[in-house]
Amino acid sequence: MDRRRLIQAGLAAGALLALPGCRQLRDFGIPITVLRPGMSEGHALRDATTLPAPTREIRCGVAILGSGIAGLSAAWRLAKEGVDDFLLVEGPEPLGNAAAGAMMSPTGPIPHPRGAHYLPLPSRESATVREILFEQGLIEADPFAERPRFAETALVHAPDERLLFGGQWHEGLLPTDAVGPIEAAQHRRFLAFVADLTHRRGRDGKRLFCVPMVESSRDADWRRLDGVPFRDWLIAQGYTSPTLHAWLDYVCRDEYGAGSDRVSAWFGLHYFASRGGHAANAADGALITWPDGLAGIARGLLARVPTERRLAGHALRVEEARGGVTILCHTPAGVVRIHARRAICAMPLHVAAHVVPTIRALGLDPARHLPPQAPWLVANFLLDGFPQESGDEPLAWDNVIHASPGLGWVVATHQLIRAARPAHTVFTTYRALADASPTEARQRLATASADELLDLAGIDLRAAYGELELWRRTRAVEITVRGHGMSTPVPGSLANAGLAALREADGPVLFAHADLSGFSVFEEAVWWGEQAARKAL
Amino acid sequence: MPDARSAPAAATDRLLILSVFVVASCGLAYELIAGALSSYLLGDSVLQFSSIIGCYLFAMGVGSHLSKYVRDEDALARFIDIELLVGIVGGVSATLLFLLFAWMSAPFRTVLYALVFALGVLVGMEIPLVMRVLHNRQAQFSELVSRVLTFDYLGALVVSLLFPLVLAPKLGLSRTGFLFGMANAAVALWTLWHYRAEVPGARGRFTRGVLAMAFLVIGLAASEHLTRWAERGLFGDEVIYATTTPYQRIVVTRWKDDTRLHINGNLQFSSRDEHRYHEALVHPALASMPWARRVLVLGGGDGLAVREILRYPNIEHITLVDLDPAMTDLFTRNAYLAGLNGGALSDPRVTVINADAGQWLDENAEVFDLIVADFPDPSNFGLGKLYSVPIYRLMAKHLSANGALVVQSTSPWFAPRSYWCIDATLREAGFVTQPYHAYVPSFGEWGFNLATRRPGFVPPESYPVPTRFLDADTTRAMFRFPPDMRPPAVEPNHLNSQTLVHYFEQDWRNVVR
Repeated sequence: MDRRRLIQAGLAAGALLALPGCRQLRDFGIPITVLRPGMSEGHALRDATTLPAPTREIRCGVAILGSGIAGLSAAWRLAKEGVDDFLLVEGPEPLGNAAAGAMMSPTGPIPHPRGAHYLPLPSRESATVREILFEQGLIEADPFAERPRFAETALVHAPDERLLFGGQWHEGLLPTDAVGPIEAAQHRRFLAFVADLTHRRGRDGKRLFCVPMVESSRDADWRRLDGVPFRDWLIAQGYTSPTLHAWLDYVCRDEYGAGSDRVSAWFGLHYFASRGGHAANAADGALITWPDGLAGIARGLLARVPTERRLAGHALRVEEARGGVTILCHTPAGVVRIHARRAICAMPLHVAAHVVPTIRALGLDPARHLPPQAPWLVANFLLDGFPQESGDEPLAWDNVIHASPGLGWVVATHQLIRAARPAHTVFTTYRALADASPTEARQRLATASADELLDLAGIDLRAAYGELELWRRTRAVEITVRGHGMSTPVPGSLANAGLAALREADGPVLFAHADLSGFSVFEEAVWWGEQAARKAL
Repeated sequence: MPDARSAPAAATDRLLILSVFVVASCGLAYELIAGALSSYLLGDSVLQFSSIIGCYLFAMGVGSHLSKYVRDEDALARFIDIELLVGIVGGVSATLLFLLFAWMSAPFRTVLYALVFALGVLVGMEIPLVMRVLHNRQAQFSELVSRVLTFDYLGALVVSLLFPLVLAPKLGLSRTGFLFGMANAAVALWTLWHYRAEVPGARGRFTRGVLAMAFLVIGLAASEHLTRWAERGLFGDEVIYATTTPYQRIVVTRWKDDTRLHINGNLQFSSRDEHRYHEALVHPALASMPWARRVLVLGGGDGLAVREILRYPNIEHITLVDLDPAMTDLFTRNAYLAGLNGGALSDPRVTVINADAGQWLDENAEVFDLIVADFPDPSNFGLGKLYSVPIYRLMAKHLSANGALVVQSTSPWFAPRSYWCIDATLREAGFVTQPYHAYVPSFGEWGFNLATRRPGFVPPESYPVPTRFLDADTTRAMFRFPPDMRPPAVEPNHLNSQTLVHYFEQDWRNVVR
């Protein structure tokens, strides 16, 4: 008689809450772990006045500085091409934004993401992404065809997403069925518009919006959209539907870390019109995911790098020297000086600005050209069973609350093939701190207590399940604070001359990072990793 | 001005005030019981609680209004009568509602709200009557109101805490109801005792009070049996075993020679005709593979499929993977139930593993000649995954080169799209399929699928083991689909779309209408 017990527990807990002081229930016994990857290393770089002296010298051909997706892609390409004198310096957080963890439940470890967690079907232009997926068995057949065949176990299993709107869960993230005819018509008009854009080409014959971003058409008529915020453009186009605006604002925060009022209209449309990937065995718009997010792919790339070509540590200074570069590295075994023919700076550009003193000479003025960086929280909630829900729309992989400042949560055990729900699960909540200026939000995050972070990260779970049900189930929480979570493509990003200059850099110091595109997605990181590796070959 | 009579009078008045406390507790308890019971039985607890509280409060208002028609000189006697009545009605309310729900669901809501309304009217009369009794006895009015209401609200607080924390979890709703009924009856008896000189017909009322109390005590003692009896009403037959595990509610019923297993209220087998299901599940495959040595059974914790497999002397080992240890334990240890499967789960050739089939297939590399997938129907997205292309591909890896997979495939008659979707899914996963069906009276027309990696399977003409249902003719009929059971056009069940779960839901919705 589960139902009876549930009501009894609910009543009991309700009575408990009525007692003063018991609202602190959640403070009892729920361990909260806070991770701030790269923060101390980054701040030390920023504040350093002197450099330590090296105790060891290393020589190599190409030094790749950073093991996020861009650095790993570069290393993977070099390894595949038979280069055997490169060195991958792993950086302060191995795998970067594709990092993952595992929470220990009584029934075993449950892997979960600490950063990015899914991929859309790759576009035809994302050839390297397809090559990587094919190599890892995630594309099973026809990797470069119009419609590759994807591994079914990696495609997001049904039900994929749902939205809490008007007190009820609805299938999908845009509640077209739950709004009036005028709003619904605007939803359809917008979707038809972006569907059409997906096929449109500019006057130079290139696709208007493409991944990789630099392959997009240079048609000035369309690039003008980069001058206005997405929201303003929507309003000018007659889109007034509050639900459409809420959804697009969610998309901007999810994809770019800032609301539609701050994201460039060109990039707002780019999200919808650039992917256009198809699959032989899934509908357009399908996603690929794993319990621990992108860490699986990242590990697959890393597996191509022999252990002796990896170095734990992070770069402190990159300087051009006669016939190449010298890189001062902090490693667990002391400070090392690497002499290399070329260095690939596969680190975020705000870090490169401190590590590469010649970055101004290369064309990027940090004061003017660094894209704004959105702060993010990724929180993992280890739960006893699954929170009780009512209604007909079952728990999906991605669960979003309409007009919430949070970005919802994904279920880490969703892709498991099980007859019964597992006894324990992990819900991963995402939140971009898009409601304040990034700098202020970062300052707040840097000193916030675990409880304050939990308040921010748990907003959607509390709203969906109530404090009581949530804390009753929660065994542990792990919060990853990413002060510089991703670049935000604000208006003017397309014309950012500093980024353009670094993209073209072909000297001893090369750059590889999604930041070069002005926004942070896997495909762009792979693209720039590939470009840098090609230059270094 | 105290005199010789007023001191004990004040004491008894204090007792009356204390009885307000008890009365108020009972009043709130009935409201909570009705709310909790209807939430439990009907779901949607917010709706149930708020409608019941609304109905109850409104009825209390009606009761307060009606109380003015009681004459002053009758107030005390009516209070005692009402207490007894509240005790009986409130005491049996939970059990009555549960029994009613078990047998007929249509008038349940009507009876529920009628009962809540009646209780509310009676409870609504209590406090005004007490106040009038006390007022008649010259207590000061302002003092009186404050004392009565203080105890009224205190009683409510105590129950609102006791009910969810202690009573409902420890005693259950039925017994809690009887307990509060006894408290009401006790107040009636106690009041009657103290004011026996002032109440007309005290002796008659006393007899009635004792009878009511006895009735409630018996009710309290018997409520466990009554609940079982009610479940028997739900399942139709006598419940001989019932347990709730972390995964499911298992109920075994028996009527004469018919033993039935229900999981979460769904019939799993009837001992009268389960041989048809299990013979059809096992023998067409095993009779045509005399070389088979090792068999894997997924699901089927009742051991009935294993019983059929064990009839083949060539089978050296059977691995049974079932999620719920309570299920396999029950059919291993319970002498009667183990009798149904002939002690199959204790056979030395059988290994029982309690694990999730999806996980077990993923984490083990053993190879079998026959896999029997006897999973529950694909009624949710979790179960739907066990009927998907990847899981069948995974099962193929656990099959020997000439091995076979038999899948329980829902009903081709009631759920044709589900049935043929499973067939399409097996073919998509690279199997050659042999769909077949059998008539199992307690289920209706039921479907199976025999999948092999290579073509060439021919249904057996005879069986090397004793069978009750299968012979050459029934086998031929099983593998033929008459014109009204032809396959509809369906999509295979992929994980990213889970068409099967949608088909299943739609198919059965059509059947229910």
